[in-house]
Amino acid sequence: MIELINDELVFTFPKVHPEAKFSISFQRTLRIPDDGLDYPLPPGLGEFPMKHVDDYADKIPSLWIEHGGVMIPMYQSEAMWLSFDSGYLNEHETEYPFAIKIATGKINAVTGGEWSNSLNEKPQDYLVAPEQPWLDGYCVEKGFIRQFVAMPLGSGYSAEEQITGKQEHGGMQIMVFPMKKEIFEKRFPKIERKRVDEDVCYMQAAPCESAAPDMGLAPGGRMRQEIYDDPFDFNDWDTENMSRSFVHISNSLVWRAITDELPPNVPLTAKEYDRYGLPWFDYYDENAVAVEGSQRLDKLKSIIQMGKEKGENPLPENTSVSAKNIVELKSKLKKDQVREGSF
Amino acid sequence: MENYFGGFIREKREKLRVDNRKYSLRQVASRIGIEPSYLSKIERGEQKHLSEEKIVALANDLHEDPDVLLALSGKVSKDIQEVIRKRPKLFAKLIRDLKDLPDQAVLKIVREVRDGKW
Repeated sequence: MIELINDELVFTFPKVHPEAKFSISFQRTLRIPDDGLDYPLPPGLGEFPMKHVDDYADKIPSLWIEHGGVMIPMYQSEAMWLSFDSGYLNEHETEYPFAIKIATGKINAVTGGEWSNSLNEKPQDYLVAPEQPWLDGYCVEKGFIRQFVAMPLGSGYSAEEQITGKQEHGGMQIMVFPMKKEIFEKRFPKIERKRVDEDVCYMQAAPCESAAPDMGLAPGGRMRQEIYDDPFDFNDWDTENMSRSFVHISNSLVWRAITDELPPNVPLTAKEYDRYGLPWFDYYDENAVAVEGSQRLDKLKSIIQMGKEKGENPLPENTSVSAKNIVELKSKLKKDQVREGSF
Repeated sequence: MENYFGGFIREKREKLRVDNRKYSLRQVASRIGIEPSYLSKIERGEQKHLSEEKIVALANDLHEDPDVLLALSGKVSKDIQEVIRKRPKLFAKLIRDLKDLPDQAVLKIVREVRDGKW
């Protein structure tokens, strides 16, 4: 089952395993410049507010009700990243593993393929948590992604419109598969804890009701981020017990008209953020192997490239930045690591 | 019921104490603002009164669900009492109707994110 708790999608699989719990939060962030350069990871600037579509049935497109799921507000040309968390299980000394499929406009963000309700092994069309702590965009090349950036559906910029030539779905689609219970218990058996010595230290803008609400996600600037190869066996995943959710993206300008609540403020630009010398991030996992990028996704035009072809200026602020203050994050050290901007 | 509450607290606290000394009787009592001897009596079932505020603090300290500890101590949280007080007949009937349903069926009533046709 999926619940919406504190603006996060919380997936639980009580039929599979009582500890199988996974949450996804949608992080606001800077839009990195779409200038042909490769950038490090931008910070998290807080979570997008999230609502059940069913609670606003009379104010949203009927198709959203048909899809079910939830909705978030995004400004045009605003960026986002997904943060994954499956919670540390002390008794097993690990996090419960999950396979996660992510699509935008029903185009797979890892392979560029069209949506299917099953996992595909070759090419791998999913991410694996906890190995993959986050996803910032489309996997365009081994070790590189293009950032998820919101553009109005129908404007031609979204990955969906570029690949299918249609503007049918928009939003984001998420599907989560837990590891099979027996595989989890075998791979990560409960560990007998020894009593420890007593002296051990454990400090370890005004709403515009006439605007169309539907936003799609389009490929923005390039960023260094690896999508990791599945370290488990493909048959370890419990494909009988998946859960999925459609995440609709409403233009922030109409969010208030729909929900009577203000959307978050316009985020900082990368230029403003970088001017203050605030941190960017790089993530390393020495033991993980990255998947090859998708040629199909690599052929997509970035928003700036598409804008030039159309004679438009879709990104009002796109100044290159130096991003010199880089904090290195390593896997397996999560407790001390926070990918957040502090200002 | 309340003796079971004391035993439950002791079991959970002792389990945490195996790995971490900060879950000693003295330190837990200090954090929730009661005397260690009083917490000891609660755990042995010799003392039964603990306020809702202290039970919630104890639940948070031991990483347990406050509603579970309140129920074990024979209490219902104030916010739930308020909900029932507004529509007592309806909620009493609802709870009685739900009492024999399996967990899965009750979980369905908890608000799920609905999946539709894509």
